[in-house]
Amino acid sequence: MKRKFFDLLFRTATCLCVVFSCAVLLAIIGFIVKQGSSAVSRAFLTGEITGAGASGGIFYNLVGTGILLATTFLVSAPTALSIALLHGVYLRNYRHREKITILLYILNGIPGILFGIVGLVVFVQWFGWGKSWLAGGILLGFMILPTVSVTLIERIASIPRKYIEAAAGLGLRQSEIVRSVILPQSAGGLATGLLLGLARAAGETAPIMFTATIFAGATIPNGIRENPVLSLPYHIFILAQDSYSPEVNSRLWAAALVLVILVFAMSIVALPARLKIHEEADHG
Amino acid sequence: MDKSVLRTENLSVSAGKKSILNPVSLKIPGDGVFGIIGPSGAGKSTFLKTLNRLCELTPGLQINGQVFHRGVPLYHHGVDVDALRKRVSMIFQQPVVFPTSIFANVIFGVRHTETIPKKDWPDLAERALRQAALWEEVKDRLKKPGKELSIGQQQRLCLARSLATDPEIILMDEPTSALDPGSTEAIESLIHQLKKQQSIILVTHNMRQADKVCDLVAFIGLQDGTGTLLASGSLDELRSRNNIPGFEDYLCCE
Repeated sequence: MKRKFFDLLFRTATCLCVVFSCAVLLAIIGFIVKQGSSAVSRAFLTGEITGAGASGGIFYNLVGTGILLATTFLVSAPTALSIALLHGVYLRNYRHREKITILLYILNGIPGILFGIVGLVVFVQWFGWGKSWLAGGILLGFMILPTVSVTLIERIASIPRKYIEAAAGLGLRQSEIVRSVILPQSAGGLATGLLLGLARAAGETAPIMFTATIFAGATIPNGIRENPVLSLPYHIFILAQDSYSPEVNSRLWAAALVLVILVFAMSIVALPARLKIHEEADHG
Repeated sequence: MDKSVLRTENLSVSAGKKSILNPVSLKIPGDGVFGIIGPSGAGKSTFLKTLNRLCELTPGLQINGQVFHRGVPLYHHGVDVDALRKRVSMIFQQPVVFPTSIFANVIFGVRHTETIPKKDWPDLAERALRQAALWEEVKDRLKKPGKELSIGQQQRLCLARSLATDPEIILMDEPTSALDPGSTEAIESLIHQLKKQQSIILVTHNMRQADKVCDLVAFIGLQDGTGTLLASGSLDELRSRNNIPGFEDYLCCE
């Protein structure tokens, strides 16, 4: 009787936790949709910012966020791939592998604002770039590096050893095994890690606010030095500080809605790659 | 003159302090099928994997002693291990089919280890599949995933993949233990065909199979929990001797 009671209690508590977290998520999304959907229009998506955000649209904010994300991708994909290959293939010593993992977890724990300040010192001042899209992309790339690397490391570790043995048994060199066995079988992991990481990077404000983005007056960069971009999260951040007028307020929520849709879209795109992993795990 | 294709000299394997295989000194002649028989867990597969240094992929194994391939030591720095594994190919207990098409599986080794132009790959794949007695069954669906084949066909596909790289020696680690009787017979008659061109070293724990395909055998049994080479010769020879520890128990349990 007692055991049955505890079983029921445990199950109820688990369900309540799930319901609560889903409810919070739905409430946030519902609120953003309710507040923002009226201001989202074609003109809003394709128009330039005017009137300090009280009128106009967010076209160059979308472009700027796109440029930052593309740079983030180009920085993090090859770096994460190298780290994961070092961890899973080239380093045979377990302790060295552990060190890499610990470093990645530490990197993961560094707050965004610290990335911003380090970027300010290194890129803006020391390199003399001023505010630059490249600085923002590099910082975001390193910020999501742990997410991308750890996903890829786990994916590589889950490749059945028999494939590697069979390829080695045919006389393939290690680089050829990497190219023909490890990379094709871990591509899903790279895609998943990158999209999850990019989804996070898309909404980050702290690393880019001192280093890469401004509120108004930037279009498409034509160089590196003194070439900031507009961005969605910084736009939302500034408008939120300034949201006493109703025009600003509705545009703030509309920008938030666009950002949520962008992030959500990236998670959806990552879904097939993740499902593929489970499918393979099921079939051994 | 040493006529053996492979010769081991005091070859032993251990994992940390645990000894897996006591020193083995064995001559394996180049012609015919050489069988390695013995109970499960006696280190037969480990021994097989030392012959092309594939055991080095398993972390934590220490290998002592030496293997000579036509008189040339294999455990020696300067030996091109990948080239060795190409010459001394391996077929596993469970067929390992890569998650790609049948055709890509057959040429998997060739495309990396040979300098054969791409246009010759189809002919080469056909030849290898014919050798592995699989061509008629798959010729119309070469682009289909290899995993769609039955398990017996998959094992022949693995054999074709090895044959495509034209190995000198094929190591087979209980290649039929996962297969149905029909497929087992197909592989056994293939071994008969292949032994005309290749040296074959076959690990099996099936005496019927050893009788059927092996010209010579080595019996690796367990002594104090460690694999030990207890006898070698033809099966009839081994049967006529009555002083091989554990051999009679092994025969009656089979």
